[in-house]
Amino acid sequence: MRTRSLSQLMPLIAPVHILILSVIVIPSLYVIWLSLGQSSFGQAQTFVGLQNYYNVLTDPAFRSALWNTVILVVVAVHVELAIGLGMALLFASGLPFRRFLLVAVLAPYAVSEVIAVVMWRFLFDPDAGPVTLVLKALGLPILDWSFEPTHAMILIALLTIWLHLPFTFIILYAARLAIPADLYEAARIDGATPFQSFRRVTMPLLGPAIIVALLFRYIFAFRIFSEVWLLTQGGPARSTEVVAVYLYQEAFSFNAFGTAAATAWIMVIVSLLLAAGYVFILRKQGAANAH
Amino acid sequence: MRTRSLPISIGKAFAVAAILLWSLFPIAFIVMSSLKPGRDIFAVPPKYIFTPTFQHYASLWSEWGVFFNGLFNSTVITAGATVLAVTVSTCAGYVYSRNSSRFLNASVMFLIIVRLIPPIVVTLPLFPIINAMNLNDTHIVLMVLYATFFVSLGTVLMRTFIDQIPRELDEAAQIDGAGRLTILRRVIVPLAAPGILAVAVFVVVFAWNEYLFAFIFTATRAKTAPLVISEMIGSIDGVDWGILFAASTVQLAPVLLFVIFMNRYLVAGLTAGATKG
Repeated sequence: MRTRSLSQLMPLIAPVHILILSVIVIPSLYVIWLSLGQSSFGQAQTFVGLQNYYNVLTDPAFRSALWNTVILVVVAVHVELAIGLGMALLFASGLPFRRFLLVAVLAPYAVSEVIAVVMWRFLFDPDAGPVTLVLKALGLPILDWSFEPTHAMILIALLTIWLHLPFTFIILYAARLAIPADLYEAARIDGATPFQSFRRVTMPLLGPAIIVALLFRYIFAFRIFSEVWLLTQGGPARSTEVVAVYLYQEAFSFNAFGTAAATAWIMVIVSLLLAAGYVFILRKQGAANAH
Repeated sequence: MRTRSLPISIGKAFAVAAILLWSLFPIAFIVMSSLKPGRDIFAVPPKYIFTPTFQHYASLWSEWGVFFNGLFNSTVITAGATVLAVTVSTCAGYVYSRNSSRFLNASVMFLIIVRLIPPIVVTLPLFPIINAMNLNDTHIVLMVLYATFFVSLGTVLMRTFIDQIPRELDEAAQIDGAGRLTILRRVIVPLAAPGILAVAVFVVVFAWNEYLFAFIFTATRAKTAPLVISEMIGSIDGVDWGILFAASTVQLAPVLLFVIFMNRYLVAGLTAGATKG
């Protein structure tokens, strides 16, 4: 079929691009302008250059929010990857009732962050939560999440892992199923132990899927807001704030649109850098595999 | 297949039990607690055998009318966002699948990059604009926002699914005198149904469950069910947990059944979305 001229195709692709431009792209670019000025809701803006970025980056509250976010992302995403990978290999090794189990694993995907917070608050309720009671019975320390910032962060990490494990698992499981069975057969005939075939066949071929899963989860975990906001509101004393909560507070509690906008662009830049970094690694791996 | 040794089978059984416990226990416990008589909810140790009661659902109905308004709003907004996102994604996905030019390739790249922008970023400029347009607290704002944040994934997914439909079918229809819209409606849409369902699953789950935009852009009239529940959490001292669990169960049940029912499309969508876009 000949390629039609662009003007004929426009009516079909225009709606998507109009939506994206008007709701996401132009507002995001406007945020750059906001980030270079000082203003608050309903006030004219005065130009202050990069002052907002300087203020944000030197604000102890932002630094602590950034630190919390980085720890949370690194811990939650890697734990998620490890569990997801283990589950993918377990499923691929053959399980009875595979379809039922798959659906059970997907279930948390349907759960709203709000409901997840209700669930996990109750599971870890310091007095009557079933998990707390099990921990107590085993003589283990309980999560005193409403007072201890570290404990609150652990609970947020658990909640995040629970909500997003279905995604990571499905990506890895699909990639594992795509590895041809003959490769394992060949490895077995060559006398490879199960561990060797895992290291030499599974891992290299899962590499790209692992990187994709990590990339998406880093980027999406970095914007975490609802779980933290609903569980602790960033408290006590801003100790469990993450970057998105810091942004929200600046904009909607303190009416400081300039610093909120600077924070927003820091988030965008970090997301783009993460993506660029991974694309670079992916390209390099692709090139290395081609040789 | 080789026969497995007993220890491996036992190990696997434990792993499966752990996975089931991890995935389902939090959900099951909430649903179960919503059916417990009030005094049993915080019983130590937790009661797993009790006489089920619908008293919390009755109280939810009589005391939290606003929750049912929220459910209604959620339904309207989810339906609107899904129809909008699916329609525009299918049209664009068709174009991207059947044509290729430097401009089109660049604009796909653009769609992929847009997905990386955190939604909270756009709340800053949109909040005053939406207020100025008097659209604050309306269904349409959330519909458009929810649809927009999924049209880039939706378009890329639809392109992937439409790529699998042989072009010969388009050409045959074209020879029969069908125009582009007719081909899209009569040939592409029926055959791309799994893709359409995959996109629909993403949008439905997102729109039904979303919190951040609903929190920022609604106040009373367009408040969604998750937002009402979050307010129940906020006033936890005034609300009893039984009602909160009943509301959570009512909000969760339809979307959970939907995901269970549509699990094939969800898996197909997640896989295609991650590898292609």
